[in-house]
Amino acid sequence: MFKWFPEIVFPSQLRAAGVLGMNARNYDIIAHNNKRRLYPLVDDKVQTKALANKIGINTPRLIGVIEVQNKVDNFLELVKNFDEFVIKPAHGSGGKGVLVIKKYTDKEFVTASEKVLSYNEVYQHISNILSGLYSLGGQYDVAIIEEMVHFSNQFQDYSFQGIPDVRVIVYQGYPAMAMMRLATRESSGRANLHQGAVGVGIDIQTGKAISAVQHNRPISIHPDTGANLMGLQVPLWREHLEIAVKGYDMTGLGYLGADIVLDKFRGPMMLELNARPGLAIQIANNRGIRNILKNIHNNYPRGLDWEERLNYVLGVAKS
Amino acid sequence: MLHKLKSVRILLSIGLLLSIIITAYSAYYKIKYWGFNLTPKQKTAVWTVEAHVSFTPTGENIKVSIARPSPSKEFKVLNEDVLAKNYDISETNERILLSSPAHRKRQNIYYRVLLYDNIEGRGKTPAEEPDKIIQPILDEQSLNVANQILEMSETQKGDTVQKIIHLFNQTPPDETVQSFMPERSSDKDTAEVIINLLALKNISARMVRGIKLLEEKKTFVPDIMIEAYMDKMWKIYDIYSGKKGLPDDFVIFQRGGQSMFDVTGGQNSSIKYSVMKSLRSSFNLAGHRAKLANQSENFGYSIYSLPLNQQNAIKWLMIFPLAILVVVIMRNVIGISTMGTFTPMLIAMSLVETGFWSGLICFSLIIGIGVIIRAALSKLNLLLVPRISAVVILVILIIQILAVIGYNWDWSIASSALFFPIIITAWIIERASITWEEEGSINAIKQIIYSILVAIVTYFVIVNDYIRHIMFAFNELNLVILFIVMLLGTYTGYRFTELMRFASLAQKEK
Repeated sequence: MFKWFPEIVFPSQLRAAGVLGMNARNYDIIAHNNKRRLYPLVDDKVQTKALANKIGINTPRLIGVIEVQNKVDNFLELVKNFDEFVIKPAHGSGGKGVLVIKKYTDKEFVTASEKVLSYNEVYQHISNILSGLYSLGGQYDVAIIEEMVHFSNQFQDYSFQGIPDVRVIVYQGYPAMAMMRLATRESSGRANLHQGAVGVGIDIQTGKAISAVQHNRPISIHPDTGANLMGLQVPLWREHLEIAVKGYDMTGLGYLGADIVLDKFRGPMMLELNARPGLAIQIANNRGIRNILKNIHNNYPRGLDWEERLNYVLGVAKS
Repeated sequence: MLHKLKSVRILLSIGLLLSIIITAYSAYYKIKYWGFNLTPKQKTAVWTVEAHVSFTPTGENIKVSIARPSPSKEFKVLNEDVLAKNYDISETNERILLSSPAHRKRQNIYYRVLLYDNIEGRGKTPAEEPDKIIQPILDEQSLNVANQILEMSETQKGDTVQKIIHLFNQTPPDETVQSFMPERSSDKDTAEVIINLLALKNISARMVRGIKLLEEKKTFVPDIMIEAYMDKMWKIYDIYSGKKGLPDDFVIFQRGGQSMFDVTGGQNSSIKYSVMKSLRSSFNLAGHRAKLANQSENFGYSIYSLPLNQQNAIKWLMIFPLAILVVVIMRNVIGISTMGTFTPMLIAMSLVETGFWSGLICFSLIIGIGVIIRAALSKLNLLLVPRISAVVILVILIIQILAVIGYNWDWSIASSALFFPIIITAWIIERASITWEEEGSINAIKQIIYSILVAIVTYFVIVNDYIRHIMFAFNELNLVILFIVMLLGTYTGYRFTELMRFASLAQKEK
């Protein structure tokens, strides 16, 4: 996993491959497409959820919000009708501070990765969220408690412990690139690529796997489950894209990343939107995103509603 | 989109160009009028030469004249003053004139001059035409000896003047030469004889009196050199070694046969010279230089006219922009992510105070101990703000203990603990342990190593005396850095680390 002599290429080679670098992402793409004042819409998950529900995007159902320290003790009261729940910071990013409880009593809480926590530890976790430990910039935060997503059986073989999610980059309203992130033992159930999760590039038109990487190196089978990654097909692909495309109408962000999970019972649900989606998706797709974005900017029609845009993107493949 | 980017870049590039021009001009100005150096030669020697004239009045009106160093030649005169009660003081280019009615008691007059090296003026002694050569009047025997000596001198090395000087400084002394010299000859006598011999050869020569600058020197006689007019130039010679050229440490008070001081209306007069050397920072002298160059108005509004402690604070501040530039390059061009944007810069600044190795070891020690204790703290499940506060206090305690240990064991590594920014250190510990818990030990250690790496690079840029001097002396450079930083803000190319990160993508294009 650690290479002593990392390979180095010339900038011209990356330019030829249409790779988008971090500086160009920040300067050319984000600064020109995402207005600063729109950020709170996606940075605050309470707002995002409310907006999503208004526009008709499925999200994990909200159980409750804990806003102040002296309400932390109430959390058992909030979840009393639920067998399982998720605690997350409203201003978190990259899955930081997310605690999934799949079984619990008054004293013991079992997490998704089978860790057993005491009441005090869960209390502590919520209180950490409130003091801003996981929020961007460390400001005070609120804790969201929501329903747990039920891992769809279809992905059983593809992920170790954690829930796989689909990340779609939406540029000026059109889905540009997609990948699926699969947790591994090494990533300890998380879907973060830099922690060792597997990234699978997904074809925008078909929802089929194109390529897969772990630690920036191509692989074809899941390192823990041994599943053939190239056989991966995201079910309900159109519905996935629908959420992503609607995310644009919902926020007005020209460049955004939509994180979508597939629930066994409720279908694709939006987990969160990201105004500064990372660039690893290019590695998972084994393809630069720059020319795709340029093509969308120059050639795709303006002023369509979400359905027309979705049809347009899916239609490009057929024609 | 692209069009806007271009116009921003053009604007910033124009700004950069202008700032370079401004900086270049002001550097020229500061070097020319304020005497700034490009190298950190921080101290300039200032020599204080004091001539103490004393005499007993005879009861007549008193007139005293003292030779003074001619200004704007080899040395610049920083300050000049005369301590003489009840005297009228006037001055000419070459002499200080004092006059007063008669006094009774023994008189003491002090003339003090503060000199410093005039780099620009060195070696540019103007060559005025010499007067007609006065041939010495010698009897026949002496003339014969003189001619004999001149003949003998032909065997010596050097030019005509040097040949004669060498002849007079032979060991053991030549008998013929000795016979030509008065018994117990002084420097002055030697010089006079040499000048006479040169006159026989039709070379115009004169005595040069001055003071050789030696620390704590006290003397009753001025030092003497010889100047000869050859090839339409006055050339100066040491009367012992025959070495040509004015030594660095010789201040000329007077040229030609005139005395160093004259007293009329007094007897038993004597003059005593004392020399004192003091070092002053060249920035201190800059004000005086500016005054001499009639540029003091601009100087008054520069940072160099501030009190010294404020200047030192500013000198420290002037390093920041450069350190910031390093951070910007490391992040946006190289692409190394660190804990906190400016944390490495602050660590580097501390390293400057502590010294590199002791600082680095000490810092690692603090972080190490801190992370271990923080790991124990996390078991207590404290709230965030009290917990980070606890870490801050812990850091302070660790620093205290290290300082005490360092003092008692005379261990400078531990003593340097005092220089690290406490809050920053605490945050590094906090972040490190959170990263450790959340993303694993490898990521945490990686981040710390990257931060320290950037700190080390920054350190080596800012620790350089030369760079610090340049940044302070030519502070307009910060304007240049400002525009470079802003231009980097429009850099949309790949970061160096991305050339590795995305290497797999480039391959298939081949």
